[in-house]
Amino acid sequence: MKQLGSLLWAEIIKEHRHSFHSKMIYFSLLVWPVINFVTAYYSFAPFRMGGDSPLARFISYEQLPLYLLTGYLGYIFYWCLVQSSWQMSFERQAGTMEMIFISPVNRLAFLYGRSLSSLIEGVWLFFCFVLLALFFVDGIRLSGWWAPPLAFLILLVSAIVWGGFLCVLFLFSRDASFLYTVLDEPMLIFSGVRLPPMAFPVWAKVISFCFPLTYALQLIRELLMERASLQTMLPSMGLLAAVLLVLVTATVVLLRQAEKHMKKTGNMVMY
Amino acid sequence: MFHVAKATFIRNTRVMIRAYPWSFVIGHIFSGVYTVLFAFFAYHYVFAGQLDENFAHLTGSSDYLSYAILGGAFYAFAVSTLMNVSRSLITELREGTLEAVLLTPSLRRGYFLGNVAQQLMRTLFEFSVIVLVGAVFGLTLSHTNVWSAVLVWILSTGAFFCQALVLGSLMLWFRDTYITQNTLFAVMAFVSGVTFPIPYLPEWVQPLGLIMPLAPALDAFRQCVIQGAPLHAVSPQLFHMAALSLVYLVIGVWGIRRMEKRVMESIFG
Repeated sequence: MKQLGSLLWAEIIKEHRHSFHSKMIYFSLLVWPVINFVTAYYSFAPFRMGGDSPLARFISYEQLPLYLLTGYLGYIFYWCLVQSSWQMSFERQAGTMEMIFISPVNRLAFLYGRSLSSLIEGVWLFFCFVLLALFFVDGIRLSGWWAPPLAFLILLVSAIVWGGFLCVLFLFSRDASFLYTVLDEPMLIFSGVRLPPMAFPVWAKVISFCFPLTYALQLIRELLMERASLQTMLPSMGLLAAVLLVLVTATVVLLRQAEKHMKKTGNMVMY
Repeated sequence: MFHVAKATFIRNTRVMIRAYPWSFVIGHIFSGVYTVLFAFFAYHYVFAGQLDENFAHLTGSSDYLSYAILGGAFYAFAVSTLMNVSRSLITELREGTLEAVLLTPSLRRGYFLGNVAQQLMRTLFEFSVIVLVGAVFGLTLSHTNVWSAVLVWILSTGAFFCQALVLGSLMLWFRDTYITQNTLFAVMAFVSGVTFPIPYLPEWVQPLGLIMPLAPALDAFRQCVIQGAPLHAVSPQLFHMAALSLVYLVIGVWGIRRMEKRVMESIFG
């Protein structure tokens, strides 16, 4: 446990030094997410709004800003991890990947430590923005005082598990930027960040249920926008837990395969 | 000059095929296709085809899907041109070949011409794929004034090239591609009327669209494709684009020369 803690701390310091060496980092932490959020909000401008809008079948018009805010908050949590996993390729380029895998460090602790540190570093600023913005939007219907902390916990845990899984995927490939394209924007479209997945046709719904963010966002909106009780949320929570369990299992299996593959091909230091 | 352009064209094509296997090309195509998908889902499944009353008045047509799909395709085209040209010098710097490029007596005009020609091939491919996918999802091409649209497309390439020179200088100044380019692209997507008409924005934000060549280029291209407008009907947009190109060209040429000198002194000196 002590070793795990020190490993986690070392990873946090490394990520911090790696990312916060210049003030430019604040662009990716705050400026881009805010511009993207505002662009998404205005993307709805060409459509008919108001009480009788077809949108009301899924979200009330007043709750649209809150719907987008929660969507983007969830997306930023997950996006940070896609980005951090993509940066695994830098470990390969810099030659540090080999050092990590030669050391006796617990591989899973390394993966989840990496996810946790990049997540906390990556979301705090936009998180503060969303907290501030929540005071200015209508439509908040909390399940209770415990709803915001629980929503945060759901996002945190699910995002870390997702991040660990992505890191393993990126271990397999040298040209990992392709995965970045495949995993980043589809998440934005299909996971209910901007549009409700319930409105989608069946084939799109199938894709949306492949992303854990879909389940996490559904829970968060039930907690913050629909005043749902814990009992009514139990099925959704169970579903998310099952998806996370599958992801953790896949991470463990794939990690072994990736290490074996890298040892066999010697591509741990190739880029 | 044409020898240099040809050599740059062949080298860049080989690099693209051998060293960076298609990741940027596929990335840009996907990005455009996702915009198409978003427009399709939002229009058909969420809003059941119902538009705001002002939309037709602001755009001159009530064909939202063509509006949004062309926006996505043209935005991907602009991003691709800007990235390929502006990153050329800093990529040379990163790969260690910039010193050789700067020391050879080759004309810089030829170098950039080769770059543009090579990236034209790429963007034409990307653009065609996005438009084809768009046609499946509801883009109407039957009213297109083909020659006007092609000419606007070519003129837009010139405008984006001039903007890319400024972006390239900034990249060399900051020694960064990631933050500089993505900040510009995020602002471009917001203020240039890619997925919604610019007048929907607050009045104080709208002038930002005026300094982006994408806004008049996209406006002119949409009119040629959706309404079949002839070239003279979009002349205000073309003049706007030409004026912006001139300003960006002057700043860009000055910036690139300055940055080259700075790079020579600070890195190789």
